[in-house]
Amino acid sequence: MSLEVFYASVDGDYDGVKSRLLTEERISKFVNLFFSDPTYQNLVANLDSGNMKEAFRAAHTLKGVTRDLGLTRIADPASELADALRPDENGNPAHPEKANEIMTEVSAAYKKAVEARSLLD
Amino acid sequence: MSNQNDMAERKQTILIVDDFMVNRALLADMLGNEYDIIEAANGVEAVVAMRDLGSRISLILLDIVMPEMDGLEVLAMMNKQGWIKEIPVIMVSSESTSSTIERAYNLGVTDFISRPFDTSIVRRRVTNTLMLYAKQAALAGMVEDEIYQREKSVGMMVSILSQIVEFRNGESGLHVLHVNTLTEMLLKHIASKTDKYGLTPDLISTIKLASSLHDIGKISIPEEVLNKPGRLTDEEFELMKTHSAIGADMLKSLPNFEEEPIIKISHEICRWHHERFDGRGYPDGLKGDEIPISAQVVALADVYDALTSKRVYKDAFPHEKAMEMILNGECGSFDPFLLECLQDIADDIQNELELSSVSTNANMEINAAVAHTMKADALAPSNRTLDLLDYERMKYNFYAQMSNEIQFEYTLDPSIAIVHDYSVNKLGLHETIHNPMQDEQLLSIFGETNLVKLRKSLFDTTIEDPIVQFDLQGTVDGEPRWFHLDARATWEDTKNGKSFLGAIGKLVDIHESRARLSDLERKATQDSLTGLTNHAYARKVISTRMKSNPDDTFVLMVLDMDHFKNANDEYGHLFGDEVLKHLAKTLRASVRDDDIVARVGGDEFLICMELDADPKPLVDRIYSSISGQYGDFPISVSMGVECINGGDMEYDEFFKRADRALYSMKRNGRGGYVYGVDANFGKEEGSVISTIESDEVNSRN
Repeated sequence: MSLEVFYASVDGDYDGVKSRLLTEERISKFVNLFFSDPTYQNLVANLDSGNMKEAFRAAHTLKGVTRDLGLTRIADPASELADALRPDENGNPAHPEKANEIMTEVSAAYKKAVEARSLLD
Repeated sequence: MSNQNDMAERKQTILIVDDFMVNRALLADMLGNEYDIIEAANGVEAVVAMRDLGSRISLILLDIVMPEMDGLEVLAMMNKQGWIKEIPVIMVSSESTSSTIERAYNLGVTDFISRPFDTSIVRRRVTNTLMLYAKQAALAGMVEDEIYQREKSVGMMVSILSQIVEFRNGESGLHVLHVNTLTEMLLKHIASKTDKYGLTPDLISTIKLASSLHDIGKISIPEEVLNKPGRLTDEEFELMKTHSAIGADMLKSLPNFEEEPIIKISHEICRWHHERFDGRGYPDGLKGDEIPISAQVVALADVYDALTSKRVYKDAFPHEKAMEMILNGECGSFDPFLLECLQDIADDIQNELELSSVSTNANMEINAAVAHTMKADALAPSNRTLDLLDYERMKYNFYAQMSNEIQFEYTLDPSIAIVHDYSVNKLGLHETIHNPMQDEQLLSIFGETNLVKLRKSLFDTTIEDPIVQFDLQGTVDGEPRWFHLDARATWEDTKNGKSFLGAIGKLVDIHESRARLSDLERKATQDSLTGLTNHAYARKVISTRMKSNPDDTFVLMVLDMDHFKNANDEYGHLFGDEVLKHLAKTLRASVRDDDIVARVGGDEFLICMELDADPKPLVDRIYSSISGQYGDFPISVSMGVECINGGDMEYDEFFKRADRALYSMKRNGRGGYVYGVDANFGKEEGSVISTIESDEVNSRN
């Protein structure tokens, strides 16, 4: 499967990422880097253990990198999640009650992307 | 020229600060090979990089949400340290809440690159910012040049003016130069001793320059008076005296420049350089500290140089004579503190004046040109300077690596220690330690007491004596190890007093050499045959214990082998030695670790214990455990026991009593033990058991 097909199968923004990162080589390098990075796993673990501050940082990082890579289906819920977890003035997450529901969406999109990526040449 | 080319070729350095490795990699990849990229994974690492490289970092790409120290804290630190003025910062963060962005702009970021990153935008923003800053730096350089040119012009005008006066005086031009030099030396020395006069480097250089003008009033004195070889008449002298007020008036009447520091200070000097500390000078009869320090110092410099130079009316006096005359008050009255300063720098004065004379004779113009060139270089560090710096760094690193030391640098604000471990037995310390006083690793190796001691010692140093040295024990791999510490505090002299900046230092592992030393110490206190303590050392330890615990009960057993001579005679000396070793071992095993067992000499031993219980059962148990066989040789021992309170007597008396008891035992048949007659059994006092009824006891009573 080509990079372009991968993006199509995860409903990603290939044209956007191509215009920003310029070369296919760079895109594929950072797609690989992203999937070998433990940020998603950190997010899951920190949410499970209730460490909201670290969960926020992980969601924030995930949102940034998926946006860079045009992985819109992950980036959108990750952004919502970061907003829900963003610490207020007292350091408490803004809307912790929403976290689980949004996380389900993030996870679904992430797993789908992992699957598609395994088919990438 | 080649330097300039190098300068253009030198890549600019960009620092990327982001906790997420993928982000740093992406930005670095987008920027490509045009720049040198350094990376920092959190705010602390970023601050360390800035501290080390300073303005060699051309630009910073800064993330906001980070652990340890976040981007906003980094910006706050950059403001505090003034780095924000020199290094442009572009914010790179997916944090797009407007309050955060606003705070970042308020803290001085130049630009903001939003996510997702776009290669062309990242590159464009970076080059734009770099160009903008390059222009600003160039402008700043031009302003500095302008200021420098102005200062140079002022200096030139002043020297022309003073030369005119000098030549009219028939002097060589050296006088002004000497007064300049002396004034500067005195002021610098005064500044090093007291803050009283607020002598900043700036002020010192202005006073030095102004000192050239001290005699400009002489321009109005008729030449025949000025250069009269003989003594001046009273009338002529009165005329001569007007030069100080006239010079001051000349300066005062300069329109538009009254507020210039150089004019103000020249005025002080012209008017009051003939005042005296005792108030008997002219023109105003000022007294003591009413006379500005500038005028006081120039007056002293003027007198010294007048004495040591040849004039139409006198020969030159040698330095020693001139000093003597000034200190004896033959040439005016000065602040005793000032005279003290003059004495402090007396040796340097001779050398310096010689130097400044030689260079003057060579060619003042050339010197000025040289000085100019050097100053221009100092403004813009040339490539050569940077290369030299690189070379120095390389040299330093090489020596450091050969040194087998742990080297550290510490800054108080931000509180960061940087550690380079070049030692053989690496401690595995982190290279960058934020808040070292709370660092678990440091605490576990060196302990809080040592860290607190180091911190306190450094704070207690002074600018004059900034060195701290001591030995300390740490714990490495669960084992105690000794280190020697050398550190030097760095202080800054500011208007508001002295402020502690941090420290540099090193730790050397001295464990082996120290272990050798303590081994030697131990050997000196030991009996070589049995490994027991020798008597001299036992005496020292027991005395100390008795003194510090005067109310405790001390039991001293002195014992001696019966018929030991037979062992030597029948089986030989080697066997005798074996028996002694065996006995020593038995004694050691029969008492507690804290008790002292020593070989007094020959076959005589002692045991000393501190007890709070009745000693008798214990003494009995020990005695019976000693007797036995060694091979075919029966071991039998005679023993004298004394029992006292620590404060009752000196050790020597204590020992004498136990020893005496031992000999009475020997005389009364051997193979047993006996208490001294006065033995004190604490609570049971009065129930003294004694089997002795010897003449010795009687004679003592």
